[in-house]
Amino acid sequence: MMAEATPLLDVESLSIRFGPSAPALVDNLSFSLKPGETLCLVGESGCGKSLTALALMGLLPTRAQPSGRARFEGRDLLTLPARQMQDLRGDRMAMIFQEPMTSLNPAFRIGDQIGESIVRHRGASRSEARKLALDMLRKVRIPAAEKRLDAYPHQLSGGMRQRIMIAVALVNEPDLLIADEPTTALDVTIQAQILALMRELQRAAGMAMILVTHDLGVVAEVADRVAVMYAGRIVETGTARDLFDDPQHPYTLGLIGSLPSLGRREGRLATIPGSVPPPDRFPAGCRFATRCPFADARCWTETPPLTGIGAAGHRAACFKAPIEANAGGLAA
Amino acid sequence: MTADASTDIILDARNLTRYFGGGYRFPFGEMPLIRAVDGVSLSVRRGETFAIVGESGCGKSTLARLILRLIEPTGGSVRFEGREITGTPPEAMRRLRRDMQIIFQDPFGSLNPRMTVGALIGEPLSVHGIASGRERDARVREMLRLVGLRPDHAGRYPHEFSGGQRQRIGIARALATRPRLLIGDEPVSALDVSIRAQVINLLEDLKAQLGLTLILVAHDLAVIRHTSDRIAVMYLGEIVEIADRDSLFETPRHPYTRSLIDAIPVPVPGARAARTLLQGDPPSPAAPPPGCRFHTRCVYAKDICRTDRPALRDIASGHRVACHLAGELQAHTLPAALETVSAARQRRVALFAGAQGIPASNA
Repeated sequence: MMAEATPLLDVESLSIRFGPSAPALVDNLSFSLKPGETLCLVGESGCGKSLTALALMGLLPTRAQPSGRARFEGRDLLTLPARQMQDLRGDRMAMIFQEPMTSLNPAFRIGDQIGESIVRHRGASRSEARKLALDMLRKVRIPAAEKRLDAYPHQLSGGMRQRIMIAVALVNEPDLLIADEPTTALDVTIQAQILALMRELQRAAGMAMILVTHDLGVVAEVADRVAVMYAGRIVETGTARDLFDDPQHPYTLGLIGSLPSLGRREGRLATIPGSVPPPDRFPAGCRFATRCPFADARCWTETPPLTGIGAAGHRAACFKAPIEANAGGLAA
Repeated sequence: MTADASTDIILDARNLTRYFGGGYRFPFGEMPLIRAVDGVSLSVRRGETFAIVGESGCGKSTLARLILRLIEPTGGSVRFEGREITGTPPEAMRRLRRDMQIIFQDPFGSLNPRMTVGALIGEPLSVHGIASGRERDARVREMLRLVGLRPDHAGRYPHEFSGGQRQRIGIARALATRPRLLIGDEPVSALDVSIRAQVINLLEDLKAQLGLTLILVAHDLAVIRHTSDRIAVMYLGEIVEIADRDSLFETPRHPYTRSLIDAIPVPVPGARAARTLLQGDPPSPAAPPPGCRFHTRCVYAKDICRTDRPALRDIASGHRVACHLAGELQAHTLPAALETVSAARQRRVALFAGAQGIPASNA
């Protein structure tokens, strides 16, 4: 329990630009992750959540210019030489992608794809790797695992392929798993199975996880902590309870209001008007100002800092929060 | 069937079947016969929103295309406003298409990138000889306004628009001929959450404004609950349950419907503490299990389920289910926690919605 005080991953002022004068697509992001903890990065297309995940894995395209710091087990992931990054990747940290169809190599057998990183990082022999791969297939509950070792990805369903991806990622028992929309391409019943499996494996191994998703339902089910992102910035962060029971940022409110409820119908959905502006037209101040019903002159010119509000650790980047106190006149 | 004689039925499908594959095809050899839609009957009432839900491969999109006769059925019939359309000759079928239109899932793939938005929306008007020249341009501008775009957008190309705007263009194109029936094949599932809500609201407004009948094909049950009047649940090419919205969600009878509802993640932490998850993948539609097709994944399955195919039968008024055990299963209710949303959340979401002039909404 003592170890829990030191973060496993500590991201400080991470910004990502494509070109020196281009706007930051990820802007001044700071968060940390304790061992065993699940952090959800939530937001819509283009909010920078996937870019953040790629930056941590050292998988950004070469044109991208990251700045800031991302300390992982004492090393800065943003400045680590390629060779050392390769040693970490697939070993201490691993990633699962959205598309189980395209992220497995169609030309290689399942067993070899799982075994590859055992050979690479553990120096295991092929037969040892095969044995470990089989164990892993059983862990992710692939039926008839023995037979599947020699199957090719196209012979498996989408849900099975995502299980294989999880097996590939977890075979070396990483300390950190980054999952980018791991269940978005799957049907709901399969999604529920995969989320339950991930949670179980995570608990067993004490692994920390960053889950990138746009689905607030998934967030409510798996997150310990949440960071809501909009146009490259964290606009609100806190525990899942903070976010869902005491949402503060107007963007968070808009997202929640956009969701139809499973219960009886209660009228029209709230919507967030318009769409995210292109990066070259981000306002100088709060980037949500173009769509926010509460925005005033200050919001357009001044960037609101992430400020503590409500419970400890709950922070929102909004001058108007809490809106019932500061934007009441407008709303009436 | 479900509807009594006095109900105005706009669309009536009887025993619709569509098989794919089968036979020998070089160089693949013997092709498996896929029963994509296998004996589906349903009636859609004028003015309602009828939803067809199910997971990938259940045949819901094939069913939508059969209803419009975009693909030919292997067997069965479809009547639109009392007219049999399955045997209608091509010329008469084309005239009928004015009245029944479809919007597709992918707002990127379904619009020709070389055509301007004006040409895209105007095309059905020319094809059907409804309007040409200035009249057509005026109609295009009217359609653009109707779906919340600007008339001067007519000169632009699809790539200049965001996903949500493109879906609006697709809707304008589908509505240009003033159809009475509109089918949406996953019309919002490719969109971001906030944009999805805009398009859902738009479809609801248009439906009321134009007196449309809407058939929605979707996999997102929360969206379905919000928008539909009646819902049909499909599994492996068959309808397993069909009911009014509230009875389907509040008293689901088929074990598959229950699993589907249970699997949805809900944005309330802790609401889903205990539940049983459906195990395994759906079987291949090329080799559906005998008896009830769901029996391989059903926790209640008995001997009869493995041998006898259950027929769709009335279990309550307007509620039909294809399950041998439906009468015996314990009542299934959504956990109360799904409804418990904090006061702070309710108040602030209402403030957010109110600031835009939207009347009270769900928090």
